[in-house]
Amino acid sequence: MKKLYFILVLWGVKFGNILCKLFHKAGTMISGKVAVKFQKDFVKYFTNIDYDKVIFVTGTNGKSTTTNLLYHTIKTSGKKVATNTEGANMMSGIATTLIKNSNIFGKFNKEFLILEVDERSLRNIFKVLPAKNLCISNLQKDQVQRNGDPDFIYQMFKNAISKDVTLFVNNEEPRSRSLEDYAGKSIYYSMEKNSKTFEKNGFYDVTMPCPKCNHKIEYEYYNIENIGKFKCTNCNYKSVKKANVTIKEIDYENHTFKCGKDTYKVNYINPFYIYNYALVISVCKKYNIEYNDIQKGFETFKNPADRREVYNYHGKIVHYLRIKQENPETMQNALDTIARDKRKKAIYIGLYEVKDFPPAYANTFYFFDCDFKKCVSKQVEKYVCFSKTVAFDTANRMIYAGADEKKIKVYDVEDDFNKIFSDLDNLKTDNIYIITGMKPYKKIKAYLKKGDSNE
Amino acid sequence: MNNTVNVAWMYPDILNLHGERANAKAFELISKKMKVKLNIDRIDDIDEKVDFDKYDILLFNPGELRVINALSNILYNQKDQLNKYIKDGKIIFITGTTGALFAKNIQRLDGEVFNGLNILDMDAKERNMVIGDDLYYTFNKMDIMASQIQMIDITLNNVKPFANIKYGYGNNGTSVEGARYKNVIFTNALGPVLVKNPWFTEYLIKLACKNKKMKLKTNKISYDLERKSLASAKEFIDKKLNEK
Repeated sequence: MKKLYFILVLWGVKFGNILCKLFHKAGTMISGKVAVKFQKDFVKYFTNIDYDKVIFVTGTNGKSTTTNLLYHTIKTSGKKVATNTEGANMMSGIATTLIKNSNIFGKFNKEFLILEVDERSLRNIFKVLPAKNLCISNLQKDQVQRNGDPDFIYQMFKNAISKDVTLFVNNEEPRSRSLEDYAGKSIYYSMEKNSKTFEKNGFYDVTMPCPKCNHKIEYEYYNIENIGKFKCTNCNYKSVKKANVTIKEIDYENHTFKCGKDTYKVNYINPFYIYNYALVISVCKKYNIEYNDIQKGFETFKNPADRREVYNYHGKIVHYLRIKQENPETMQNALDTIARDKRKKAIYIGLYEVKDFPPAYANTFYFFDCDFKKCVSKQVEKYVCFSKTVAFDTANRMIYAGADEKKIKVYDVEDDFNKIFSDLDNLKTDNIYIITGMKPYKKIKAYLKKGDSNE
Repeated sequence: MNNTVNVAWMYPDILNLHGERANAKAFELISKKMKVKLNIDRIDDIDEKVDFDKYDILLFNPGELRVINALSNILYNQKDQLNKYIKDGKIIFITGTTGALFAKNIQRLDGEVFNGLNILDMDAKERNMVIGDDLYYTFNKMDIMASQIQMIDITLNNVKPFANIKYGYGNNGTSVEGARYKNVIFTNALGPVLVKNPWFTEYLIKLACKNKKMKLKTNKISYDLERKSLASAKEFIDKKLNEK
């Protein structure tokens, strides 16, 4: 009876999709939403799905990039793959993907199903779509207004993972790796020490509690903030010596690295991407996808979710770095990018109040999870802090990091970019960095495009 | 060191949810402005026996609830020394979920109940939905502005609240905020509360100086940037209230 009802719902939404296409209306994306509204466990009734070839990708940062890269690489190798690249990563988005990739009887028509899955939806999605593979990019602080603390999400993951699942986890990320205790099999991916590896031994540097025994975790070195070779100061928990896949000999200038005997040439290269490549290689290995095919995927990959843009504004090179607000890792990544540029520069930071969920609030605490000190140097001509509500807090964060107060300018205005960028033409440096969250992105982009000589 | 305020930064790697390392840094910066000698020690090892007599301020930042359970068991073994420290009028400053460590009972979502140190006569209950909002209250004629990520609801039994709320959720959605017993101060104000509200940091340092009869130089400090930040946040809250 339920199966019959499923077919009726499926026909209804597929017919709706045809009508949308006929009348050129955007609506195909909501078909999953409608289907799930009519039948809560709608996803469960699709057939011809090989669960061993269903791969979930979740985690705090890098879900979309990893999913896109994995999809692109496996597809490039000649396999038939379905994915939710549009980023619709909750139950309705996954239903939409299955509707699009099935016939009128709900028979799935691809070999692989690669899905980005929202952390909070993971458990419910596993219940109706028992994937045999789970990739976790990392588990960090994120959207605290919704997720509270990382343990809140950890408990959800723990309850979602079963012994039927093969877990692909970062050998250098203590929290997500410890989920190995709940999976049937764990595949570890890793990155060796390289030219962007760093150490932290400052008085105010902090790490995290061991997810197994609550004592202090120590890092021998970091490849990314909070990710690096670690060990617990109390129990035996540590990065394994020999991971299943290890990236080595990374050449950031020439965009190459080695994995085993193979040398890969890639489009995008930074430590975040390296971990993504490592994860994708470990998944491809499971399905015997060969080096040449993986390499082909990597070299032709274009990331639609890249958060960096470069403009030529009035003759100045403007690097626009977007971050996810309330997410220290994406912010730290932006700060690290700026810190690596040793030339003279000016830095504009627009951190706004957080409006992800009601009520909006003026959260500024994630600023202090990040290391701003790396960006403070004599090479910085000016620090400009802008936004209506938290511009003064941003300026104070710069002062706490040791920035020269005389170089700091605060604009507590809402989206008045003529004012915010009023001094830009007068700066001696031609090297400008802008960091903001998503909120002002479209407006700033439009503003910079107006003055872009290449447009 | 009688002419120095000694701060123990308790378990910085374990209790570290929302950038609260900034609170330790604020003690350093504000004390310099006040021309008060202040020393901060990190207590990194949770198994280390703490010499509480050495300190004037214990700083406990927020931690995950599973960690609170472990810490409660460990610190229980030093409860007599901790009680003496409190009786001597010394300061313990606690923020966020770590309030549960000093509470009587803590009830987790999965039904598990564990005991806190029972220093503040209050109970904590884990929430199934997180509440995140601004938190604005007054204490001792001071405006305190911060954010709040509420993972637990707090019910006060026989302990006084720390402050009255002007805006925000506080302990449990009523107008009550935090708790205070002698100089054990618990607040739900998270993140760099001592950076955003340096007048409050100054209050804590002055209180520690008073406890150890240290003489203070009169020194009026300008907190221009922080005052402007406070004004912006108040404006933002007013706007939210008007939109309701």
